[in-house]
Amino acid sequence: MLKTSITTVGGLLMATSLTTAAYAQVCTEDLKILAQPRGSLTLLEDRVAEFEEISGVSFKIDFLNENDRRAKSRAEASTTGRYNVYYIDEANIALFAENEWIVPLREHFPDEYNFEDFDPSRITVGSYDGNVYFAPIQGGGDFLYYRKDLLEAAGITPPTTLEELKVAIAALHDPANNVYGFALRGGRGSGANVWRWMTYFRGFGGEWFDGDTPAFNSEAAIKATETYLELFEYSPPGTSTGSWTEVTEAFNSGQVALIVESSPLAGLTEDPTSSAVAGMVGYTVPPSPLTGGGYGHGLAIGARANPDEASRDCAGLFIGWATSQDQEMQRLEQGIFGDLNRQSVFASDEFSAKYSDNIATALEETADVTAVNFWPNADWPDLGDRWGIILEELIVGSRTDIPAALDELEEYANDLIARR
Amino acid sequence: MKAKSHINKVFLGPPLLVLAILALVPTIAAIVISFQNKELGRRGTSFVGFDNYISLFSDRRFSNAMKVSLQWEAITVIGTMVVAVLVAILLFETTRGRTRAILSTLLIIPVLLPRVTAAFVWKFMFNPLLGVINYPIKELTGKPIEFLSNIETALLSVAVVDIWQWGLFFAVILLKLLETLPKEPFEAARIDKARTWEIYAYVAIPMLAAPLISLTFVKMVESLRSFDLIYVMTRGGPGIVTETLDMYAFSQGFVESGRISYASAMAVLMLLTTIITFTVIFKWVRKWQNA
Repeated sequence: MLKTSITTVGGLLMATSLTTAAYAQVCTEDLKILAQPRGSLTLLEDRVAEFEEISGVSFKIDFLNENDRRAKSRAEASTTGRYNVYYIDEANIALFAENEWIVPLREHFPDEYNFEDFDPSRITVGSYDGNVYFAPIQGGGDFLYYRKDLLEAAGITPPTTLEELKVAIAALHDPANNVYGFALRGGRGSGANVWRWMTYFRGFGGEWFDGDTPAFNSEAAIKATETYLELFEYSPPGTSTGSWTEVTEAFNSGQVALIVESSPLAGLTEDPTSSAVAGMVGYTVPPSPLTGGGYGHGLAIGARANPDEASRDCAGLFIGWATSQDQEMQRLEQGIFGDLNRQSVFASDEFSAKYSDNIATALEETADVTAVNFWPNADWPDLGDRWGIILEELIVGSRTDIPAALDELEEYANDLIARR
Repeated sequence: MKAKSHINKVFLGPPLLVLAILALVPTIAAIVISFQNKELGRRGTSFVGFDNYISLFSDRRFSNAMKVSLQWEAITVIGTMVVAVLVAILLFETTRGRTRAILSTLLIIPVLLPRVTAAFVWKFMFNPLLGVINYPIKELTGKPIEFLSNIETALLSVAVVDIWQWGLFFAVILLKLLETLPKEPFEAARIDKARTWEIYAYVAIPMLAAPLISLTFVKMVESLRSFDLIYVMTRGGPGIVTETLDMYAFSQGFVESGRISYASAMAVLMLLTTIITFTVIFKWVRKWQNA
C-alpha cells in the first residue's frame, strides 16, 4: 500500500488563514447544526475557537440519537427549516434532495479543503441525481469480525461462505459459557434490522422494485428472512429488539464469536479502553454471497436557513472545515476510526502505525463486495421502517408467516406508490 | 350583586382565553388536517373527506394500538390503586411517627424522578446481560429473562415502572387520608370483633371512597400520557406489543411515514374516545355516589 506522510496540513492551514478575512465577511450569524452523536463532532466542539477564527462566527450542534435525528430532521426541515447544516445519511438523502431541503454542496465547498480526497465510494453515497449533497463524516461497508482465539481453539478457519459461517456459528455457540455464536440486529428500522437483513436479501439476488412495481415479494426475500431468523437462534439475549449498540457491545464484551457488522466497529474493537477483545479479533470480507452494506453519513447545507449564496458559502465553509484532512488526522490520533473518510488519511503512516495490516487489507477487500442494498428513493425510509417493524415481529415471534408478512409489505409499497 | 358578576368575568376571562388559544387552536388544526392528505416530504395538500378515518379501521396496527392502550390503562390504573391501598394500610398499621415520616418521604422519590430518567434506569436494570434484576435470575436458572424483548412480559415490565412511580406516591396520599379519619368507627369495629382486613374493607375504604375515586381519575388521565416511558423502554416493541395509540400516531406522523393527516385522524379519534369514555364513567360514578 502506498503510504504517504501528511505534509500538506501546514500548507492547508496557511491557505485557510489567507482566506479567513474573506470568509469572515461571508459568515454573519452563528451556525446551527442538527446531528447525531459522533466522536468527530464532539471533537469539533472542542475546537470552536478555531472555526471562529476562520469564519468570524461560532456554531452550536444539537445532538439526537440516530432514529430521533432522522425523525426530527424530516419534521424540522419540512416545516421551520432553521438548521444551517443537517446530518444526512444514505437512507434519507433522496428525501431531503427531492424536497430541496438541502442544496448541492460542491459549489459551496471551499477548494482548499480538497473534496476529491474523500474516498470515492463515500462521495457516491453522498450523491443524488447527479449532485453531491453531503461531505462524509462516516461511511464504509461490512467486515466479518471473528474471534481469532475461539476459532483457533476450535480448529475453525474464518468462513468464506454462508454455509461455512453457519457451521462455524453452531460449533462456537456455547451460551452456558457466555459465548454466543453470532449477533444480529433485531430492533426495528431501515437502518437497524433491515440494514443487516438486506445483505442477505441482496446477496440472494433480491430486488426492491422493477420501475414502480414492487419486486421484493420473492423467493430471495423469503430465503433471506428464513436465514435471518435461523441465525438469530445464536444471537445473544437483548439483541432481538436491539440494534448497533446492543450487538457491538455484546461482541466487544467478549460474548460473541462471529459477527458481520459495519466497518467502524473495528475502531471500537481495537480500543482497549472500551473493548475486552482488543487484539483478539480478525477482520475479513463478509461470507459469500452476502453483500456489504454500503453506507455513508455526512453534513449537508440546509436550504431554508441559508437563503442566499453567502449564507450557503458560510455553511459550506463549516462543512469543509469539519471534514478537513486536519480534522481527520485529529480523529485518527484520538482513535475515532469510524469517522475516517479521506484517502490520504487511510494511506498515511499514522494510520498504518495505529491499525493492523489486517484491518487495512480488509478495508481494501471489502470495497469489492460493498453494495447499495437499499432502495435509493425518497420513500425508502418509510418502506424500510415498515419492514423493520414487521421483521421485528417475526424475530420476537409475535407473527410467524413470512409470505403473509411480505404480502403486507407489498400492499404497503403499492399504497406508497399510489400516494405519490 | 352586579359588580360581583363582573368580577367573575374579569377573573375567568383571561384564563379561559388562554385555555382557548392553547387547547382549541391545536385541536381545530388537528381536526382540519385529519381531513386532508398532508404528508411531510410530499408537496401539495388536498381535502380527502373521511379517507383517513376509513383507512384507520382496516389498519391492523391501529386496532392493535387500541387494544394495547386499553390494556395499559387497565393494568396501570388497577395496579397503581391496589399497590397504593395495600402499601398505605401496611404503613398505617405498622409504622408510627418519625419512621412513618421517613418512609413516606422515600416513597415519594420515585414520582419525583423525571419519567425519562426512571425509564432509562429500569431499562438498564432489566437488561438481560448486565441488569441487576437478571443477575439472580441468571445465577438460579442459567439464562436471563428478556423482560423488554419478550412479547409476554414487555407490557407488564413497563407497567411495573409506572406503578412503582405512581402507586407509591398514591400510597403516601392515602396514608395521610387514613390519618385524618375519625377513630370512633375503627374502635367500634374492633369492639364488634372485626378482623383487620374487615375494618379496612368495610369501614376505612368506604369512608375514603370519594378521594379514591378522584385518585383513580387522576391516574386514568395520567396513564394516557405515558408516551415518554414506553418510548424510552420499548419504542412500542417488541414488534407492536407495547405500541399504544399515542405512540403509533407519533410514529406515523414523525418517525416512519411523515403522514401528518393520518396521525391527526388518530389523535382526533383518541380525543373523542377519551371524552366519551370519561364522561360516561364520570356520570356513572356520580349516579352511584348519589344512589
